[in-house]
Amino acid sequence: MQEKIRAALKSSKADYTEIRLEERESATVVYRGKNLDTASAVIDAGGIVRCLCRDGGWGIATFNDRDDLIAKVEQAYQCAKVAHSDEPIELAPVPVGEERIAANLQRDFRDISLADKKTLAEGYNNILLKHSDKIVSTNCLYFDSFSHITFANSEGTFIEEERPLVTVVMAAIARDGNNVQTAHESRSGQAGFEFVMGREEQARIAAQRAVDLLRAESVVGGQYPVVVDQELAGVFIHEAFGHLSEADFVYENPKAREMMVLGRRFGQDILNVYDDGALPGLRGTHKYDDEGMPTGRAYLIKDGILVGRLHSRQTAAKMGEQPTGNARAISYRFPPIVRMTNTAIEQGTTSFEDMIKDIKLGVYACGAYGGQTELENFSFSSAYAYMIRDGKIAEMVKDVILAGNLFTTLLNIDAIGNDFQWMHRGGGCGKGAQYPLPVTFGAPHIRIQNVVIGGKKEK
Amino acid sequence: MDILKQLRQRMDQFEVVHLRNESTKVSFESNRLKTSQVEETKGIAVRVVKQGRLGFAASSDASATEQLVKNAIESAMYGDQVPITFPEAQHAPTVKTFDPTITELPIPRMVEIGKEIVDYILQIEPEARVNVSLKRGIQQVALHNQTGNEASYQSSPLSISVSVNKIQGDDILFVGDFTGTTVWQEDYLAGTRRLSEKLKLARRLTAMSSGNLPVLFSPNGLLMLGVPLQQGLSGKSVFTGISPLKGKLGEKLFSDKLSVIDDGTIDGKFGSAPYDDEGVPHRRNALIENGVLKNFYYDLKTAAQSGVASTGNGSRTLFAPPGPAPTNLIIGAGGTPLADILTGINEGVLVEDVLGLGQGNTISGAFSNPLSLAFKIEKGEIVGRVKNVSLAGNIYTLLKNIAAVSRETEWVHGNLNLPYLWLPEMNVIAKAD
Repeated sequence: MQEKIRAALKSSKADYTEIRLEERESATVVYRGKNLDTASAVIDAGGIVRCLCRDGGWGIATFNDRDDLIAKVEQAYQCAKVAHSDEPIELAPVPVGEERIAANLQRDFRDISLADKKTLAEGYNNILLKHSDKIVSTNCLYFDSFSHITFANSEGTFIEEERPLVTVVMAAIARDGNNVQTAHESRSGQAGFEFVMGREEQARIAAQRAVDLLRAESVVGGQYPVVVDQELAGVFIHEAFGHLSEADFVYENPKAREMMVLGRRFGQDILNVYDDGALPGLRGTHKYDDEGMPTGRAYLIKDGILVGRLHSRQTAAKMGEQPTGNARAISYRFPPIVRMTNTAIEQGTTSFEDMIKDIKLGVYACGAYGGQTELENFSFSSAYAYMIRDGKIAEMVKDVILAGNLFTTLLNIDAIGNDFQWMHRGGGCGKGAQYPLPVTFGAPHIRIQNVVIGGKKEK
Repeated sequence: MDILKQLRQRMDQFEVVHLRNESTKVSFESNRLKTSQVEETKGIAVRVVKQGRLGFAASSDASATEQLVKNAIESAMYGDQVPITFPEAQHAPTVKTFDPTITELPIPRMVEIGKEIVDYILQIEPEARVNVSLKRGIQQVALHNQTGNEASYQSSPLSISVSVNKIQGDDILFVGDFTGTTVWQEDYLAGTRRLSEKLKLARRLTAMSSGNLPVLFSPNGLLMLGVPLQQGLSGKSVFTGISPLKGKLGEKLFSDKLSVIDDGTIDGKFGSAPYDDEGVPHRRNALIENGVLKNFYYDLKTAAQSGVASTGNGSRTLFAPPGPAPTNLIIGAGGTPLADILTGINEGVLVEDVLGLGQGNTISGAFSNPLSLAFKIEKGEIVGRVKNVSLAGNIYTLLKNIAAVSRETEWVHGNLNLPYLWLPEMNVIAKAD
């Protein structure tokens, strides 16, 4: 295959050409309630060719049939010629290299039978189901995937990488009359089967939380000081700031460049944020991104000030900045776009007790259903929450969904905890049509003042 | 076909689905044509039944047929016991899903249309940044099962998605639109005009304060209530016992102004086809009629588990087994013209778009979303855009009392036909700075 790839790259008439081929095997086991929904394996294989004509644009061909790569290169080249650009499109230089990166798994899940994967999921499912007679259904998932990716470009880079991923998700659904509540726990990593074994305690936590939520009242809508746990703080920084630091939003938009100018203050001095695609053992980690650029740490906010952003080769060239190794694609069906990897709020100094002790009426928001950013505005959804009354954690509340604004919410972070954690959660990030991309969040507890929470009216 | 022969010898029932998609896309980024893309996707999905156990496997690798069959059989060894029967051929409605005008649309013409859209918007908002993508394709689906049922059809989806952002100081306005059709529409600028009207209305920013206010949902904004409702109406949510609608067929649960229909037989829409993805004919299925719960939507498996017949709502992607999903979901038009609804609102909110759709415990009917595009209504007029406003509630309470449903409806996201819907009172939370 290597010879075919090199020959196809050589045949290209474009200014820049890259080929990425992928073979992926994956297995899924899903239980819903007492029933096994599916236990199955799928095979996905295909490729993408991307060509750039400097005075034209990008041309892309994606395909399953990998026999005639020269024809695919020609197709992509023809596409690239459709556009016309007055200003030449440049790519920032990146090192040229050749490397083979093998996955190093303790217990390779490809050697585990579907029966054993089913047994694992069934075990967690039984814990969820048997926890309480209020649990009416479950959604218990085991998923693994093993990708072999070959990336080569016309500059001479040739990288082969194995990318494993293993995930369990345990969701319990409790019901009392018309009241239906769900709670979930998950664990996911670039690791072997051992990574998702022995998670019985997580299953019990999810089941108990679903039952507890049956007795929780909906939150009263309003503005509150909010303390956010590590998991939700990670989602928060991803949504609140991460997406706006992706340079593809600003690089061709002069007004956005003004708004996101390096040196602008976004937070108080205590706030430090970075993205790092090179940290071992995290879901967003790869040695190279999908343009062959080595990954590393990019500080986005230092001492409250915007100091950097995430780049692809094209956005870096256009803005005269350095590429950061953040061009990522979820599969061979998509070109790489600017994405986060592992994003974190750095450790602070405040203890949890100090954070809540002066709050008369506030909310402690925990866990995450997810979040969404639409430019300056964003939402982030907690999985469960508690009221804070007179400096103490009080009753549980539900349906706590927080609204934020880039320019005010970050400045309203006035305490950062001393209890930093990386969260090995499942799920992923979506941008454009590309979902789910494995990313990791890390954060300590944080406190944010004046957060809008939608909800019912006070009785 | 070799694979069919192998399965016929070894399995009690089988279903083999060949999918083949080809598409061409042109994308404008920040007002300029940036990328052109051709996609070719093909793959095979297999379901088998052996001794009452159901198995699934899929592959996009044409050289891996042997592994595909092996995976399907292994899956059935551990599969769930389901009384499923892959159906014999049945008479299906005639539904238009294919139009050569779309499949033969030349790339230069697609580029021209994209430019026309960009120029139209820049004329209205010269400072805006416009992203447009036009995508046309051919999709071929061919299903075979052990009964000899061969359900196949092709469709020609065309989608136009437009998003616009406009930055003024620290105010970022974002407005998007998506139109999808499988039959060529001469008025391809309809979505662009709809979007432009919103851009004009959004120019003026205004403030509002929290309180109990009437809320008007636009067709696109109505998804906020539609998403939890769609989950509750799924046969799968009912079978697993998590839908609040379980066991309530025939009961009047909503305002008599609310009717919901699933209809996969409408020409040219994204959810339309003669058959669903399991070879069951599409049809028109009333789910809620004047507030009374009439039916749920089912695929073959969930229907078999529930002891009812499939409603033709089996839906699949290549790599996952089918599940129940709406085809085209319609909330029935009401009798009140939109203009009259507006006149009736003294002070309220018009919801156009929300953040975090579907997040949270939506199966319970609860929703809570910040509004990403919303307007203030004052004395019957839309007076300006409002920011930092959130709405929350539960559809099973709110939809009992609807003030009015508009006569006008719009297709959004290619397969949803929705009206304007006016709720008399909701708790509106606005940020006070």
